[in-house]
Amino acid sequence: MAIINVGVREIHCKIVYYGPGMCGKTTNLQYIHSQVPREAKGDLLSIATETERTLFFDFLPLDLGKVRGFSTRFHLYTVPGQVLYERTRVAVLNGADGVVFVADSQRDKLQEDIKSLQELARNITKQNKNFKEFPIVLQYNKRDMPEALPTAVMDKYLNPLNWQRFEAVATTGVGVFDTLKSISKLVISKL
Amino acid sequence: MDPQLTSLIVPPEEITNIDECLSRLVEDTGGNYALLLDKSGQVIAASGDGNRQDTTALGALIAGSFASSQQIAKLLREKDFRMLLQQGVRENLFIALIEDQWILTIIFNKGTHIGLVKVLTKKATEELSTVLERVRKQHKSRDDVLGSNFRTSMEDTIDLLFRD
Ligand SMILES: Nc1nc2c(ncn2[C@@H]2O[C@H](COP(=O)(O)OP(=O)(O)OP(=O)(O)O)[C@@H](O)[C@H]2O)c(=O)[nH]1
Ligand SMILES: [Mg+2]
Repeated sequence: MAIINVGVREIHCKIVYYGPGMCGKTTNLQYIHSQVPREAKGDLLSIATETERTLFFDFLPLDLGKVRGFSTRFHLYTVPGQVLYERTRVAVLNGADGVVFVADSQRDKLQEDIKSLQELARNITKQNKNFKEFPIVLQYNKRDMPEALPTAVMDKYLNPLNWQRFEAVATTGVGVFDTLKSISKLVISKL
Repeated sequence: MDPQLTSLIVPPEEITNIDECLSRLVEDTGGNYALLLDKSGQVIAASGDGNRQDTTALGALIAGSFASSQQIAKLLREKDFRMLLQQGVRENLFIALIEDQWILTIIFNKGTHIGLVKVLTKKATEELSTVLERVRKQHKSRDDVLGSNFRTSMEDTIDLLFRD
Protein backbone atom coordinates (compact mmCIF):
# COMPACT_ATOMS: atom_id res chain seq x y z
CA MET A 1 0.00 0.00 0.00
CA ALA A 2 1.39 3.38 -0.94
CA ILE A 3 1.91 5.68 2.01
CA ILE A 4 1.34 9.40 1.88
CA ASN A 5 2.97 10.81 4.96
CA VAL A 6 1.53 14.29 5.20
CA GLY A 7 3.52 15.11 8.34
CA VAL A 8 6.94 14.85 6.77
CA ARG A 9 5.52 15.27 3.26
CA GLU A 10 6.69 11.99 1.82
CA ILE A 11 5.19 9.46 -0.57
CA HIS A 12 6.39 5.86 -0.70
CA CYS A 13 5.56 3.26 -3.33
CA LYS A 14 6.72 -0.33 -3.65
CA ILE A 15 7.30 -1.97 -7.04
CA VAL A 16 8.18 -5.66 -7.36
CA TYR A 17 9.86 -7.38 -10.32
CA TYR A 18 8.37 -10.87 -10.59
CA GLY A 19 9.05 -13.73 -13.01
CA PRO A 20 10.62 -17.15 -13.46
CA GLY A 21 14.22 -18.00 -12.54
CA MET A 22 16.96 -16.42 -14.69
CA CYS A 23 14.54 -14.26 -16.68
CA GLY A 24 16.55 -11.11 -15.89
CA LYS A 25 14.90 -9.42 -12.90
CA THR A 26 18.14 -8.70 -11.07
CA THR A 27 19.71 -7.50 -14.33
CA ASN A 28 16.91 -4.91 -14.66
CA LEU A 29 17.71 -3.46 -11.24
CA GLN A 30 21.44 -3.53 -11.89
CA TYR A 31 20.96 -1.59 -15.10
CA ILE A 32 18.69 0.97 -13.44
CA HIS A 33 21.20 1.36 -10.62
CA SER A 34 24.02 1.96 -13.10
CA GLN A 35 22.16 4.72 -14.94
CA VAL A 36 20.17 6.76 -12.43
CA PRO A 37 22.01 9.86 -11.16
CA ARG A 38 23.72 9.39 -7.81
CA GLU A 39 21.53 11.78 -5.83
CA ALA A 40 18.44 9.84 -6.88
CA LYS A 41 19.46 6.38 -5.78
CA GLY A 42 20.51 4.43 -2.72
CA ASP A 43 22.71 1.33 -2.65
CA LEU A 44 21.54 -1.76 -4.48
CA LEU A 45 21.11 -4.42 -1.83
CA SER A 46 21.22 -8.02 -3.06
CA ILE A 47 20.69 -11.11 -0.99
CA ALA A 48 21.91 -13.83 -3.31
CA THR A 49 23.47 -17.28 -3.35
CA GLU A 50 27.13 -17.80 -4.20
CA THR A 51 26.11 -18.38 -7.80
CA GLU A 52 24.41 -14.98 -8.05
CA ARG A 53 20.88 -16.35 -7.98
CA THR A 54 18.58 -14.23 -5.86
CA LEU A 55 17.99 -15.92 -2.50
CA PHE A 56 15.69 -13.41 -0.83
CA PHE A 57 15.44 -10.18 -2.80
CA ASP A 58 17.25 -7.30 -4.44
CA PHE A 59 16.32 -3.87 -3.18
CA LEU A 60 16.90 -0.51 -4.84
CA PRO A 61 15.50 2.69 -3.30
CA LEU A 62 14.96 5.54 -5.76
CA ASP A 63 14.39 9.08 -4.61
CA LEU A 64 12.63 11.29 -7.13
CA GLY A 65 13.17 14.43 -5.11
CA LYS A 66 10.41 16.89 -4.30
CA VAL A 67 7.35 16.92 -6.51
CA ARG A 68 4.83 19.60 -5.57
CA GLY A 69 6.32 19.68 -2.09
CA PHE A 70 6.30 15.93 -1.53
CA SER A 71 9.47 13.82 -1.44
CA THR A 72 8.65 10.80 -3.52
CA ARG A 73 10.33 7.44 -3.15
CA PHE A 74 10.02 4.31 -5.21
CA HIS A 75 11.33 1.11 -3.70
CA LEU A 76 12.16 -1.52 -6.29
CA TYR A 77 12.38 -5.18 -5.31
CA THR A 78 12.99 -8.42 -7.18
CA VAL A 79 11.75 -11.81 -6.04
CA PRO A 80 13.84 -14.99 -6.25
CA GLY A 81 12.55 -16.77 -9.35
CA GLN A 82 13.54 -20.36 -8.63
CA VAL A 83 10.51 -22.61 -8.05
CA LEU A 84 11.84 -23.60 -4.63
CA TYR A 85 11.35 -20.09 -3.25
CA GLU A 86 7.60 -19.65 -3.66
CA ARG A 87 7.03 -18.69 -0.01
CA THR A 88 9.83 -16.16 -0.19
CA ARG A 89 8.11 -14.57 -3.18
CA VAL A 90 4.93 -14.23 -1.14
CA ALA A 91 6.93 -12.44 1.56
CA VAL A 92 8.57 -9.99 -0.85
CA LEU A 93 5.30 -9.28 -2.66
CA ASN A 94 3.72 -8.16 0.61
CA GLY A 95 2.30 -4.67 0.28
CA ALA A 96 3.40 -4.11 -3.33
CA ASP A 97 1.73 -1.23 -5.19
CA GLY A 98 2.68 -2.51 -8.62
CA VAL A 99 4.41 -5.40 -10.36
CA VAL A 100 6.65 -5.72 -13.40
CA PHE A 101 6.28 -9.23 -14.72
CA VAL A 102 9.49 -10.16 -16.52
CA ALA A 103 9.03 -13.00 -18.99
CA ASP A 104 11.88 -14.91 -20.61
CA SER A 105 11.35 -14.76 -24.39
CA GLN A 106 13.17 -18.01 -25.14
CA ARG A 107 10.93 -20.65 -26.65
CA ASP A 108 11.72 -23.29 -24.05
CA LYS A 109 10.92 -20.85 -21.21
CA LEU A 110 7.33 -20.14 -22.18
CA GLN A 111 5.98 -22.85 -19.91
CA GLU A 112 7.87 -21.40 -16.92
CA ASP A 113 6.63 -17.90 -17.78
CA ILE A 114 3.04 -19.11 -17.79
CA LYS A 115 3.42 -20.97 -14.49
CA SER A 116 5.06 -17.99 -12.83
CA LEU A 117 2.33 -15.64 -14.01
CA GLN A 118 -0.36 -17.97 -12.68
CA GLU A 119 1.42 -18.06 -9.35
CA LEU A 120 1.57 -14.26 -9.31
CA ALA A 121 -2.17 -14.09 -9.87
CA ARG A 122 -2.73 -16.50 -6.98
CA ASN A 123 -0.44 -14.59 -4.65
CA ILE A 124 -2.01 -11.22 -5.40
CA THR A 125 -5.47 -12.63 -4.89
CA LYS A 126 -4.33 -14.07 -1.55
CA GLN A 127 -3.48 -10.54 -0.45
CA ASN A 128 -7.16 -9.70 -0.96
CA LYS A 129 -6.42 -7.66 -4.04
CA ASN A 130 -8.25 -7.86 -7.33
CA PHE A 131 -5.75 -9.25 -9.83
CA LYS A 132 -7.56 -7.81 -12.84
CA GLU A 133 -7.28 -4.29 -11.43
CA PHE A 134 -3.83 -4.63 -9.98
CA PRO A 135 -1.16 -2.41 -11.63
CA ILE A 136 0.99 -4.71 -13.78
CA VAL A 137 3.36 -4.09 -16.67
CA LEU A 138 4.83 -6.88 -18.79
CA GLN A 139 8.40 -7.10 -20.01
CA TYR A 140 9.46 -9.62 -22.66
CA ASN A 141 13.15 -9.91 -21.90
CA LYS A 142 16.04 -11.56 -23.73
CA ARG A 143 14.81 -10.41 -27.14
CA ASP A 144 18.42 -10.80 -28.34
CA MET A 145 18.29 -14.58 -28.01
CA PRO A 146 18.06 -16.48 -31.31
CA GLU A 147 15.25 -18.67 -29.95
CA ALA A 148 13.12 -15.70 -28.90
CA LEU A 149 9.43 -16.32 -29.55
CA PRO A 150 7.46 -13.88 -31.72
CA THR A 151 5.77 -11.33 -29.46
CA ALA A 152 2.36 -12.26 -30.86
CA VAL A 153 2.77 -15.76 -29.50
CA MET A 154 3.82 -14.46 -26.10
CA ASP A 155 0.89 -12.02 -26.05
CA LYS A 156 -1.48 -14.87 -26.64
CA TYR A 157 -0.29 -16.77 -23.59
CA LEU A 158 0.81 -14.02 -21.24
CA ASN A 159 -1.20 -10.93 -22.01
CA PRO A 160 -4.92 -11.69 -22.14
CA LEU A 161 -5.54 -8.68 -19.87
CA ASN A 162 -3.83 -6.34 -22.31
CA TRP A 163 -1.28 -4.83 -19.99
CA GLN A 164 1.30 -2.46 -21.36
CA ARG A 165 4.20 -4.55 -22.50
CA PHE A 166 7.76 -3.88 -23.55
CA GLU A 167 10.43 -5.82 -25.40
CA ALA A 168 13.75 -5.76 -23.60
CA VAL A 169 17.37 -6.81 -23.50
CA ALA A 170 18.11 -6.13 -19.86
CA THR A 171 21.84 -6.78 -20.19
CA THR A 172 22.23 -3.80 -22.54
CA GLY A 173 19.37 -1.80 -21.07
CA VAL A 174 17.00 -1.96 -24.03
CA GLY A 175 13.44 -1.45 -22.75
CA VAL A 176 14.46 -1.30 -19.09
CA PHE A 177 13.56 2.35 -18.51
CA ASP A 178 10.45 2.19 -20.69
CA THR A 179 9.23 -0.56 -18.40
CA LEU A 180 10.12 1.36 -15.25
CA LYS A 181 8.48 4.56 -16.47
CA SER A 182 5.32 2.72 -17.36
CA ILE A 183 4.89 0.95 -14.02
CA SER A 184 5.79 4.11 -12.08
CA LYS A 185 3.13 6.14 -13.86
CA LEU A 186 0.60 3.39 -13.43
CA VAL A 187 1.25 3.23 -9.69
CA ILE A 188 1.07 7.02 -9.35
CA SER A 189 -2.24 7.05 -11.20
CA LYS A 190 -3.67 4.74 -8.52
CA LEU A 191 -2.40 6.61 -5.47
CA MET B 1 -12.15 1.08 -6.46
CA ASP B 2 -10.37 -1.76 -4.78
CA PRO B 3 -9.80 -0.47 -1.22
CA GLN B 4 -6.46 -2.26 -1.07
CA LEU B 5 -5.14 -0.10 -3.87
CA THR B 6 -5.84 3.25 -2.30
CA SER B 7 -3.06 4.86 -0.34
CA LEU B 8 -2.71 5.17 3.37
CA ILE B 9 -2.73 8.90 4.08
CA VAL B 10 -1.12 9.69 7.42
CA PRO B 11 -1.94 13.24 8.56
CA PRO B 12 0.62 15.40 10.45
CA GLU B 13 -1.17 15.22 13.81
CA GLU B 14 -1.07 11.44 13.73
CA ILE B 15 2.63 11.49 12.89
CA THR B 16 3.10 13.58 16.03
CA ASN B 17 1.20 10.96 18.04
CA ILE B 18 3.29 8.19 16.53
CA ASP B 19 6.55 10.04 17.22
CA GLU B 20 5.54 10.57 20.85
CA CYS B 21 4.67 6.93 21.25
CA LEU B 22 7.99 5.81 19.75
CA SER B 23 10.13 8.16 21.82
CA ARG B 24 8.31 7.10 25.00
CA LEU B 25 9.03 3.49 24.12
CA VAL B 26 12.71 4.23 23.57
CA GLU B 27 12.91 6.17 26.82
CA ASP B 28 11.02 3.68 29.01
CA THR B 29 12.94 0.67 27.76
CA GLY B 30 16.30 2.45 27.71
CA GLY B 31 16.36 1.34 24.09
CA ASN B 32 18.45 2.80 21.31
CA TYR B 33 16.06 3.08 18.47
CA ALA B 34 12.44 2.48 17.56
CA LEU B 35 11.13 2.19 14.04
CA LEU B 36 7.59 2.02 12.71
CA LEU B 37 7.29 0.37 9.30
CA ASP B 38 4.52 -0.44 6.93
CA LYS B 39 4.47 -4.14 6.17
CA SER B 40 5.71 -3.29 2.69
CA GLY B 41 8.99 -2.21 4.33
CA GLN B 42 8.55 1.54 4.18
CA VAL B 43 9.56 3.60 7.17
CA ILE B 44 6.69 5.61 8.65
CA ALA B 45 8.48 7.02 11.67
CA ALA B 46 11.65 6.52 13.67
CA SER B 47 12.92 7.64 17.04
CA GLY B 48 16.16 7.49 18.99
CA ASP B 49 19.81 7.41 18.05
CA GLY B 50 19.67 9.20 14.71
CA ASN B 51 23.02 7.96 13.50
CA ARG B 52 21.66 4.65 12.36
CA GLN B 53 23.16 4.17 8.98
CA ASP B 54 20.66 3.17 6.43
CA THR B 55 17.15 3.27 7.79
CA THR B 56 15.69 2.60 4.35
CA ALA B 57 17.59 -0.65 3.84
CA LEU B 58 16.96 -1.59 7.47
CA GLY B 59 13.22 -1.18 6.91
CA ALA B 60 13.26 -3.34 3.78
CA LEU B 61 15.22 -6.09 5.52
CA ILE B 62 13.18 -6.12 8.72
CA ALA B 63 9.88 -6.22 6.82
CA GLY B 64 11.28 -8.95 4.57
CA SER B 65 12.43 -11.12 7.42
CA PHE B 66 9.19 -10.56 9.30
CA ALA B 67 7.10 -11.49 6.25
CA SER B 68 9.25 -14.55 5.75
CA SER B 69 8.81 -15.58 9.40
CA GLN B 70 5.06 -15.30 8.87
CA GLN B 71 5.35 -17.73 5.97
CA ILE B 72 7.22 -20.08 8.29
CA ALA B 73 4.38 -19.74 10.80
CA LYS B 74 1.88 -20.68 8.11
CA LEU B 75 3.85 -23.78 7.16
CA LEU B 76 3.92 -24.79 10.82
CA ARG B 77 0.18 -24.10 11.04
CA GLU B 78 0.97 -21.58 13.70
CA LYS B 79 -1.65 -18.87 13.92
CA ASP B 80 0.02 -16.29 16.07
CA PHE B 81 3.60 -15.57 15.07
CA ARG B 82 3.30 -11.90 15.84
CA MET B 83 6.62 -11.19 17.47
CA LEU B 84 10.21 -11.81 16.60
CA LEU B 85 13.38 -11.49 18.66
CA GLN B 86 16.83 -11.30 17.14
CA GLN B 87 19.74 -11.43 19.54
CA GLY B 88 23.09 -9.92 18.71
CA VAL B 89 26.30 -9.58 20.67
CA ARG B 90 25.72 -5.94 21.59
CA GLU B 91 22.14 -5.30 20.71
CA ASN B 92 18.82 -7.09 20.44
CA LEU B 93 16.03 -6.43 18.04
CA PHE B 94 12.41 -6.94 18.97
CA ILE B 95 9.75 -6.87 16.28
CA ALA B 96 5.97 -6.84 16.75
CA LEU B 97 3.10 -6.73 14.30
CA ILE B 98 0.32 -4.15 14.52
CA GLU B 99 -3.02 -5.13 12.99
CA ASP B 100 -1.41 -6.97 10.06
CA GLN B 101 -0.42 -3.63 8.59
CA TRP B 102 2.40 -2.05 10.53
CA ILE B 103 5.57 -3.42 12.07
CA LEU B 104 7.05 -1.96 15.24
CA THR B 105 10.76 -2.55 15.84
CA ILE B 106 12.79 -1.69 18.88
CA ILE B 107 16.57 -2.01 19.12
CA PHE B 108 17.96 -2.20 22.65
CA ASN B 109 21.16 -3.06 24.49
CA LYS B 110 21.91 -6.41 26.06
CA GLY B 111 21.55 -4.70 29.45
CA THR B 112 17.80 -4.15 29.07
CA HIS B 113 15.54 -6.90 30.29
CA ILE B 114 13.64 -8.54 27.44
CA GLY B 115 10.55 -9.00 29.60
CA LEU B 116 10.30 -5.26 30.10
CA VAL B 117 10.71 -4.63 26.39
CA LYS B 118 7.93 -7.10 25.61
CA VAL B 119 5.49 -5.52 28.05
CA LEU B 120 6.19 -1.96 26.95
CA THR B 121 6.15 -2.89 23.27
CA LYS B 122 2.77 -4.51 23.72
CA LYS B 123 1.47 -1.32 25.29
CA ALA B 124 2.90 0.71 22.40
CA THR B 125 1.37 -1.57 19.77
CA GLU B 126 -2.03 -1.04 21.39
CA GLU B 127 -1.65 2.73 21.23
CA LEU B 128 -0.41 2.57 17.67
CA SER B 129 -3.24 0.33 16.58
CA THR B 130 -5.68 2.99 17.80
CA VAL B 131 -3.81 5.53 15.67
CA LEU B 132 -3.86 3.18 12.69
CA GLU B 133 -7.60 2.68 13.12
CA ARG B 134 -8.15 6.45 13.01
CA VAL B 135 -5.88 6.82 9.97
CA ARG B 136 -7.81 4.15 8.12
CA LYS B 137 -11.18 5.67 8.94
CA GLN B 138 -10.50 9.21 7.79
CA HIS B 139 -11.72 9.95 4.32
CA LYS B 140 -9.27 12.37 2.85
CA SER B 141 -8.98 12.12 -0.88
CA ARG B 142 -5.67 12.21 -2.62
CA ASP B 143 -6.48 15.48 -4.33
CA ASP B 144 -7.14 17.15 -0.96
CA VAL B 145 -3.65 16.26 0.11
CA LEU B 146 -1.54 16.37 -3.03
CA GLY B 147 -3.38 18.85 -5.19
CA SER B 148 -4.87 18.00 -8.56
CA ASN B 149 -1.75 18.75 -10.60
CA PHE B 150 0.38 16.30 -8.70
CA ARG B 151 0.03 13.51 -11.20
CA THR B 152 1.20 15.50 -14.21
CA SER B 153 4.16 16.94 -12.30
CA MET B 154 5.04 13.46 -11.14
CA GLU B 155 4.91 12.10 -14.69
CA ASP B 156 7.29 14.83 -15.86
CA THR B 157 9.72 13.97 -13.09
CA ILE B 158 9.55 10.29 -13.98
CA ASP B 159 10.34 11.06 -17.63
CA LEU B 160 13.23 13.27 -16.61
CA LEU B 161 14.86 10.88 -14.18
CA PHE B 162 14.16 7.41 -15.49
CA ARG B 163 16.25 7.32 -18.63
CA ASP B 164 19.65 6.15 -19.77
N1 LIG C 1 21.19 -12.68 -23.57
C1 LIG C 1 20.59 -12.10 -22.54
N2 LIG C 1 20.91 -12.46 -21.29
C2 LIG C 1 20.28 -11.85 -20.25
C3 LIG C 1 19.30 -10.84 -20.47
N3 LIG C 1 18.86 -10.42 -19.26
C4 LIG C 1 19.53 -11.12 -18.32
N4 LIG C 1 20.39 -11.99 -18.92
C5 LIG C 1 21.29 -12.96 -18.26
O1 LIG C 1 20.52 -13.99 -17.67
C6 LIG C 1 21.11 -14.44 -16.47
C7 LIG C 1 20.13 -14.37 -15.30
O2 LIG C 1 19.82 -13.01 -15.05
P1 LIG C 1 19.32 -12.50 -13.63
O3 LIG C 1 19.01 -11.05 -13.76
O4 LIG C 1 20.25 -12.90 -12.56
O5 LIG C 1 17.97 -13.36 -13.49
P2 LIG C 1 16.90 -13.31 -12.29
O6 LIG C 1 15.57 -13.20 -12.94
O7 LIG C 1 17.26 -12.30 -11.29
O8 LIG C 1 17.09 -14.80 -11.70
P3 LIG C 1 16.70 -15.32 -10.21
O9 LIG C 1 17.37 -14.42 -9.25
O10 LIG C 1 17.20 -16.71 -10.10
O11 LIG C 1 15.22 -15.27 -10.12
C8 LIG C 1 22.35 -13.58 -16.25
O12 LIG C 1 23.46 -14.29 -16.73
C9 LIG C 1 22.08 -12.35 -17.11
O13 LIG C 1 23.27 -11.75 -17.58
C10 LIG C 1 18.99 -10.47 -21.82
O14 LIG C 1 18.14 -9.62 -22.10
N5 LIG C 1 19.65 -11.14 -22.81
MG1 LIG D 1 17.64 -12.38 -9.31
